[in-house]
Amino acid sequence: MRLQADMLVRRDEFQVRCQAEFGRGLHLVSGPVGSGKSSLALAMAGLLAHEGELLTEGINETLISFQFPEHQVTASRLDDELRSWSLEADELLSSLGLLERRGDDPLRLSRGTLKALNLACVIERNPDLLILDEPFSSLDCVAKESLCRKLETRRGITIIFSHERGILPKVDSLSQMRGGELESLGSPQDAIPRWEGAPPYLREALRQGAEPENVRLEDAMEALCRMRG
Amino acid sequence: MIRIKGLRHGVLDIPLLELSGSLVAVIGRNGAGKTTLLKLIAGLEEPEQGSILIDGRPPRELRVGWMGEHPDRTMLFSRVWDEISSSLRFTRVPVAEANERVMVTLESLQITHLRDRSISSLSGGEKALVALAAAMAGSPDILVLDEPDSHLDAPSAMLLQEAVLNSSCQRLLCTQDMDLASAAEELLLLADGKVISQGSPEKVFQGREESCFYPSMWRLRP
Repeated sequence: MRLQADMLVRRDEFQVRCQAEFGRGLHLVSGPVGSGKSSLALAMAGLLAHEGELLTEGINETLISFQFPEHQVTASRLDDELRSWSLEADELLSSLGLLERRGDDPLRLSRGTLKALNLACVIERNPDLLILDEPFSSLDCVAKESLCRKLETRRGITIIFSHERGILPKVDSLSQMRGGELESLGSPQDAIPRWEGAPPYLREALRQGAEPENVRLEDAMEALCRMRG
Repeated sequence: MIRIKGLRHGVLDIPLLELSGSLVAVIGRNGAGKTTLLKLIAGLEEPEQGSILIDGRPPRELRVGWMGEHPDRTMLFSRVWDEISSSLRFTRVPVAEANERVMVTLESLQITHLRDRSISSLSGGEKALVALAAAMAGSPDILVLDEPDSHLDAPSAMLLQEAVLNSSCQRLLCTQDMDLASAAEELLLLADGKVISQGSPEKVFQGREESCFYPSMWRLRP
């Protein structure tokens, strides 16, 4: 299972280049607002034209979760919305505590709840390749942590495009957008010191001389503990 | 001072609440009623039941600076200068005075270099700072910010947070960033529309070390 990209995406006057390979596991692509993350995510999902090559191996189904979940809503009731993803509505709604609201318009949910619903749908579909554009924005910390745990146990390829600075999952690789290009930084431990968008807690751990093994807050705390003996 | 009495509105059920901090942060899970409460305090919605008074007056009698989660969706003008001066122009402030206040606001947020730019040429972080400037330029009695940082990257969020923390007017914001919340004077923790805890960050976060609501930077303290 593999995704290999050697492509150029043009959007108006802006262009973004990507030369990278993603295998099974969880990959974080970080970068500031406006650095081309969304364009790249859409192109990888096949929703935006690109030049060059995008090769897949062992990938049957690809799904993307948009940055703004309201752009992905197709039904006017929650249960119909879930059915539009070919999912069993009641079970998933009850796991989200939304069973009583099954007849409500999805656009009447609070933004965080709608985001959580959208993410639950794409994860439940269990695609081979899952692309997530800013999955953490608008979620509260409990929902962010639960999302991280679900992503960590997924079996396919998951690529997260995000500038999240609070709660992150344990990842297999780290990349960053820089000068209109995706720069692969490699495995997390080597990558963290070179990661320009590192969350404040990782920066603080580095500043104190610790070497976190991964990108989660726990990793920063563990590294500090080890260092302090 | 914000005084709420017998409030019932949507998910919110707040019998009595007094907020006196000059920077108040509202925190809580998605759907807890944070945005609804902010909209009521900003006067964007009227309570179904109960009353809200800010320094003794209803919100709609006050000058309110509002900034939502998606500032680029609520901007009215295509140029930075026009957007920031809009509230002053709408209230017929003389041009010379309005221009001066826009300049002072730009300087206080350190975004003077953006004055002649078009809104569409701004990055997300710059748009957020312009939206904050537009909300502040009318010298509001209260500044209400609904998750202003939730779509920003770390450097832009830092700039915005610094601007909010350094502002001298009365501020009320909601955020999912507990490190920002921990810098507020007063915290309000909501769950299912009800007030769960209120007070200083030390008081509200006390005993929550096991929950993700505890500020991450506090965990790294030696």
